[in-house]
Amino acid sequence: MTISLAFGLALGLITLLAFLGLPMGLSMICGSILYLLMRGQDMGIAAEQFLNGMYSNYIMLAVPLFILAAEIMNSGTLSERLLKWCDALVGRFRGGLAQVNVLQSIVFAGMSGSAVADAAGSGKMMQYMMTKDGKYTPSYAAALTAVTAVIGPIIPPSIPMVLYALVADTSIGFLFLGGVIPGLIMAGIMMVQIAVTARVKNFPVEAPVPVRQLPRMTWEALPVLFMPIVLMYGIYGGITTPTEAAAVAAAYALIVSALFYRAVKPGELYRSVLLSAKTTASIGMLIAGALVFNYVVTIENIPRTISAILLSWDLSPVLFLIIVNIILLILGCVLEGTTILLVIVPVLIPTAQALGIDLVHFGVVAVVNIMLGLITPPYGLLLFIMTRISGSPMRAIIGDVMPFLWAMIGALVLFTFVPETVLWLPRLFGYAGVTP
Amino acid sequence: MPPILHSAGQWLYARAENLLAAMLATMFIVFIVQIVFRYLLNLPIGWTHEISVVMWLWMVLFGTAFVVRDSEEIRFDILYSAVTPNIRRAMIVASSLTLVALFTISLPAVIDYIAFMKVEKTAYLKIRFDYLYSIYGVFALAMIVRQLHLCWQAVWGRGSEEFDPTKASSGI
Repeated sequence: MTISLAFGLALGLITLLAFLGLPMGLSMICGSILYLLMRGQDMGIAAEQFLNGMYSNYIMLAVPLFILAAEIMNSGTLSERLLKWCDALVGRFRGGLAQVNVLQSIVFAGMSGSAVADAAGSGKMMQYMMTKDGKYTPSYAAALTAVTAVIGPIIPPSIPMVLYALVADTSIGFLFLGGVIPGLIMAGIMMVQIAVTARVKNFPVEAPVPVRQLPRMTWEALPVLFMPIVLMYGIYGGITTPTEAAAVAAAYALIVSALFYRAVKPGELYRSVLLSAKTTASIGMLIAGALVFNYVVTIENIPRTISAILLSWDLSPVLFLIIVNIILLILGCVLEGTTILLVIVPVLIPTAQALGIDLVHFGVVAVVNIMLGLITPPYGLLLFIMTRISGSPMRAIIGDVMPFLWAMIGALVLFTFVPETVLWLPRLFGYAGVTP
Repeated sequence: MPPILHSAGQWLYARAENLLAAMLATMFIVFIVQIVFRYLLNLPIGWTHEISVVMWLWMVLFGTAFVVRDSEEIRFDILYSAVTPNIRRAMIVASSLTLVALFTISLPAVIDYIAFMKVEKTAYLKIRFDYLYSIYGVFALAMIVRQLHLCWQAVWGRGSEEFDPTKASSGI
């Protein structure tokens, strides 16, 4: 493989600056400027790529709007109502609250596109409910919230899938559909695991909510339960684009919190908006940095070069996918997910394409991988968040996460080898895709 | 820092936050207007698209330049969190000076590019692109100043406290 000195140095500088603690987006811009400088090219190209890339990729606007939607949901009492409803439904079983945690994550996943928002949103309340009266150990509660939050961006809507759609130029609508069944399978596996552990460890049962109260509680939770349906109908009924659906999600959350539950205070709303805007700026910077660096990667022909090398090895698609899974899982232990998605995944896409792997299948597998990266030690964002929320040591949380993590890796293997788990639903909605 | 400068700085920071929040709010409202016009009134409009994209661009550049702190940015902090404060200071000096050097060298070319964009206007609102893109120049300058400031603080032994304690206590 021949890479130019300029590219090698640029890559080296990015790695170095990242290690030194400079924000990833800025590191990539610096590396790209160095590349342009050494190549004697106009250094204004970095600015041009940044500005035009950000200006012309309309679908990215879904990212800030989904972040805003999640923040608004978290600031209102939406998640509280949802938790009560889930408790009424599955609390009566052994390990009931643990099952509640999974169930609420499924519904929440259908409204929000970010695992971190899911964990931060219902995490605190779930942690309190599970650990008061010493029902569950703090580390088990925290581990469970971290693990269930992983489903968030796999079941649509999903911020990582928006980013993947951007780099792979695939349909967001079909990607979203592709995540539904894998997300539900993962949730199902978690529920089985909990049920088994609950018997072994004799987890507590919640006081059963009388069935008579169920209709009323369902009625009260209905506006929340309705939200995933509104979103999906908007996107697949051809009413809104996925980007607009993100705005609808935020508006819906706002209206439900304000009108139905009367739980929106102006100060809180401002804080939600500001926090979302700050998150947007930091994710946006990373996206922009990746856009600039991807320009360099493209003119150096890196994805094609890697593709040519990999193809010359005569890899089978399955073997390639296994290698990709291993690479992404290892990178997920140390790198932040967005960086992997925006920098590493694009390099692999041409090879996947050349091997005849369906890009929606590839995307969902990559996103599941990256989400698992959020709970793999040592660097797992969800582990950090739950350490902060629960106050229990990270080591203990990791210990309780591991059985779930292994099971989720098992699920990932299933999605990798059986593309139908991902593609069945999109095909039902008319996705042609690659036929093997 | 004299108290008056400090409070002036805080006041400005709060206004920058207001502005950043207003940008996201505008983007959100404009989206809703767009949906209402297209699907309820059957009147597709294009200017909303332009405003939302501009808000996105400005939110990222303005936010990074003036509101988001380095510790809130997405970064790779395994090493950063594991080393002693003195090594961390050295790391800050190295990274900030590198950024300052590269951003300064490229600044004339950046300004050239922005100025060159005066020839183009947006499709609906006819806003000149050099106006829209000028925020990048502001961002580049602000980054140079900010990183110099960080470097200065690191050299004089301050600033390393800025580190996010949640991640420091993570046991990596």
